[in-house]
Amino acid sequence: MFHRVSVEADLCLLRFIHLLMHVRADKRPLFLRDLNEPLIDHAEGQFFLNEAFKIIMEEVLSNGTDIKQKVCEWKEPEELALLLDLGVRETGEPRDKLLQRVRDVAKYSIKTSHPHFFNQQYGGVDYHSLAGRFLTEALNTNLFTYEVAPVFVLMENEVLRGLRQLVGWTEGDGIFCPGGSTSNMYAMNLARYQRFPQVKSQGVWALPRLSIFTSPESHYSVKKSAAFLGIGLDNVIFVKVDDRGRMIPEDLDEKIELSKSQDAVPFLVSCTSGTTVQGGFDPLEHIADICDKHKLWMHVDACWGGSVLFSKKHRHLMKGVDRANSVAWNPHKMLVAGLQCSALLLKDTTNLLKQCHSANATYLFQQDKFYDVNLDIGDKSVQCSRKVDCLKLWLMWKAVGSTGLEERVDKAFIHARYLVEQMKKREGFQLLSMVISYILHKPDFVNVCFWFVPPSLRGKEGTEDYQEKLAKVAPVIKERMMKQGTMMVGYQPLGNKVNFFRVTVFSPLLSQKDMDFFLDEIERLGKDL
Amino acid sequence: MILMPQKEFEVNRGIVEISGKIKKLEAGQGVKSSESQALVAEPEKCSPAGSFDVNSSTADEQVAESFIRQAMEIIVDEAVKKATNVQEKVCEWHSPEQLKKLLDLELRDGGEAESEILQRCRDAIRYSVKTSHPRFFNQLYAGMEPYSMVASFIAEAVKTNLYTYEVAPVFTLMEDAVLRKMIKVIGWEEGGDGIFNPGGSLSNMYAVNLARYRYCPDFKEVGMFSAPRLVILTSQECHYSISKGAALMGIGTKNVYTVPTDERGRMIPSALEEKIMLAKSEGAVPFMVNATAGTTVLGAFDPIDEIADICEKHNLWLHVDACWGGAAIMSKKHKHLLKGIHRVDSVAWNPHKMLMASLQCSAFLVRDKTSLLQHCHSARASYLFQQDKFYDVSYDTGDKSVQCSRKPDAFKFWLMWKALGSRELEQRVDRALAMARYLAEEIKKREGFRLVLEPEYANVCFWYLPPSMRNLPESPELWKKLHTVAPVVKQRMMKKGSMMVGYQPLGEKANFFRMVVISPQVSRQDLDFVLNEIHNLGKDL
Repeated sequence: MFHRVSVEADLCLLRFIHLLMHVRADKRPLFLRDLNEPLIDHAEGQFFLNEAFKIIMEEVLSNGTDIKQKVCEWKEPEELALLLDLGVRETGEPRDKLLQRVRDVAKYSIKTSHPHFFNQQYGGVDYHSLAGRFLTEALNTNLFTYEVAPVFVLMENEVLRGLRQLVGWTEGDGIFCPGGSTSNMYAMNLARYQRFPQVKSQGVWALPRLSIFTSPESHYSVKKSAAFLGIGLDNVIFVKVDDRGRMIPEDLDEKIELSKSQDAVPFLVSCTSGTTVQGGFDPLEHIADICDKHKLWMHVDACWGGSVLFSKKHRHLMKGVDRANSVAWNPHKMLVAGLQCSALLLKDTTNLLKQCHSANATYLFQQDKFYDVNLDIGDKSVQCSRKVDCLKLWLMWKAVGSTGLEERVDKAFIHARYLVEQMKKREGFQLLSMVISYILHKPDFVNVCFWFVPPSLRGKEGTEDYQEKLAKVAPVIKERMMKQGTMMVGYQPLGNKVNFFRVTVFSPLLSQKDMDFFLDEIERLGKDL
Repeated sequence: MILMPQKEFEVNRGIVEISGKIKKLEAGQGVKSSESQALVAEPEKCSPAGSFDVNSSTADEQVAESFIRQAMEIIVDEAVKKATNVQEKVCEWHSPEQLKKLLDLELRDGGEAESEILQRCRDAIRYSVKTSHPRFFNQLYAGMEPYSMVASFIAEAVKTNLYTYEVAPVFTLMEDAVLRKMIKVIGWEEGGDGIFNPGGSLSNMYAVNLARYRYCPDFKEVGMFSAPRLVILTSQECHYSISKGAALMGIGTKNVYTVPTDERGRMIPSALEEKIMLAKSEGAVPFMVNATAGTTVLGAFDPIDEIADICEKHNLWLHVDACWGGAAIMSKKHKHLLKGIHRVDSVAWNPHKMLMASLQCSAFLVRDKTSLLQHCHSARASYLFQQDKFYDVSYDTGDKSVQCSRKPDAFKFWLMWKALGSRELEQRVDRALAMARYLAEEIKKREGFRLVLEPEYANVCFWYLPPSMRNLPESPELWKKLHTVAPVVKQRMMKKGSMMVGYQPLGEKANFFRMVVISPQVSRQDLDFVLNEIHNLGKDL
């Protein structure tokens, strides 16, 4: 099936096969003594790779995206642990058994690329990005320096530039992080460092008490970061939101003043473009005015919503983003680039990121190298080993172009609006952000939050235990859909609102039929409750 | 642009199918974005019925499948077979300016044809450094582990995010099984807890955070502004992530007190105690000690047992950064290097280094049974970690992390461990250290090569003296001259593409080479080659 590289390589393979037969014949550590020969047998490894690839193609990519197949194959943890035979042992296992393990992993894993997986903000599959991910794994590159990662140092730079351009910055800096939470954490650290550079060497003891402002609907990583950075959860101040989950600028201004009067030093506003549950977009332009007034770092967590910047039609949702200091954006969400692909973008041109994070390790970042060591970008990170996350996005972007990505974003909005329209037509579907906003407006984004009110509860809205009963509906429907494997969608409570479903629609595999299926299925699973 | 009146047609097909169609139409014609736009904007050109429907559009599925197959063929040929072939180059050096041109990195409005995308894959491989090549000795990872690579392909294909049992049933259980096994190997008889992280630096930071949280849980809520000054103790040879962590976590790099090391790079316990007393006398609060098992440059192992005594006495959290050296514990012969590790509070151990799991595979292990990790990091997001689920939510491990999205890295280690068994992992470690020993003996035999110190682990540090310097008297001038040798030899080996070996200065020591032997593909001939090649590249200096 595969082309031969060269005669030498073939001879090498033959030698490996020969060695392999030796190993399998008697499991003695024969080669330990014999340091003159390689210990590993790549022929066996490559055969295994070919066989495993067939399973990936059939089970994961073909069956895993087929709507006639299940989204999940539910097993209780104890049962699944037995099925997977998790223990590792003294001796290795033969090939057939290992291939069966690969099949089992494929079988019992959730099919996150399946069109009926609506559970999270990643889903679907893009084959160009997938090729980029396979290639990344095969090359096993660590993104420290130009020396070991020449292609990806340059590529990351270019991808970041492309993303920054969409934000509206011609210059700037940035880095790929292992997830949006880390991007948000970096932004917090940069904001603190810019204001108080002494924190790097002296710690927070050299600082006044700091305060951070964000909305209660922002991602929990703001809180996690505040704890991790030694700032503390109590110093994260929550600004009120409107009924669509958007920060109210007037309240932000008031809270900042209040915090100042309490002897704290506000230094960061973490806004959200596309909140996790409701998909709300904070009004960036207004917030930017307030940040200017108080001289605060403005960070935009656009992990989920950032992709609207590709769309001429919808980018207005992030109007004012160019005035921010930093933006976190995960192309692994709406753009389907594959986990993980999380960019932190900075407007800064003073090398703040490197100054803030660098440790100048001499074993890695030697200054007497024969090329421009400014390309050794690894010291901008707080990681040491760092994965290549740019290739998958770059390859996909090259393949479909900005226009292709724009189409995907526009299409997701159309799907979301279709879903809302259909819900209004059906009995029992009650939109969360009710009344006025959804009648006058379309949903802000591609999150659609709703309660399913089963027939037995319809018309009983005013009754005493209505809320209590309604809260129990979503968990039961969820359990049923998972046990039957027909689809997956998330639910949660929010503030005083009891459990409701949140569906996000953005996979390029989705069609209108899948929306109809979704609604039918909720009805089917919940009609007897 | 998508026009609203055509919505009915638009939304009945998936975009992937459309692009598949475009690709077919454009095959061989190059990029014409206007065409693809036109195709989308005028649905009547392509009948909305049937052929674009996800359910029945087998033709387009074939396009996607054929693309992935072709890409995979390139990957196997070029990035697997060729990259591990000793006859091929390790790297193909180009200056950044040249390489930018060769790669045509710019991102445009229009897409490209499949054939071009496949060529881009070939280019990315061609100009990347072949880290799995038997002559790649540049970093603390090397070689190709096919089982782990297969696992990483599967992980990419199933695209699992490791938050909850709900979305990651298989990998949640696997991570748990691998962590338990690693804990067992370490020797924590009462068990413990742990998590896989995106790199060892993060694991070390988690240790700092847990140690801080144990010292005073209130810091999580109130921050440290009014707390006493905290101090971390570590050796001067430790990994730089300790100081990066201290900076990030608001402790400050100045509050990382470095403890002197002996001539072999190991922390001196009595000096540790002195530093602890010093910090206390300043009114600061020492709260953790970081010991290193396998330092980055010299491969030194701090004496864990003695350090544990001191930590017990002063009630300090003891963390061991065994990212590099942890693998020695797999070997009956070499596990003594980590003697005392069963007594420590936490361990960072990267199977992606010596044990050759694919990047990244970094475990953080903690000897705690009180859910400290969960308490310290949790934010209890109600949209993810609902408490009214229909299964035991203690399997939802995501809130132990400070990440939200997290990759299933344990699987890459699990599958290879299943395939090879503990015994073969042990053999590999033994072999790597035997190789390092062989290299050190060869260096001692050869003229012009000088060991920096006897290797204790797989790091072999040495100077190469070109013939012109061999008869010079030992003097600062000699060292100054010698300092310039390694960078030139490095430049030459990279431009030739024959191999890659790292170099660095250390304290007062002039630039020296650091060889690390990891891959079981490496044999004695490869090590002989390295020494010969260094001589060939540097003999005229």
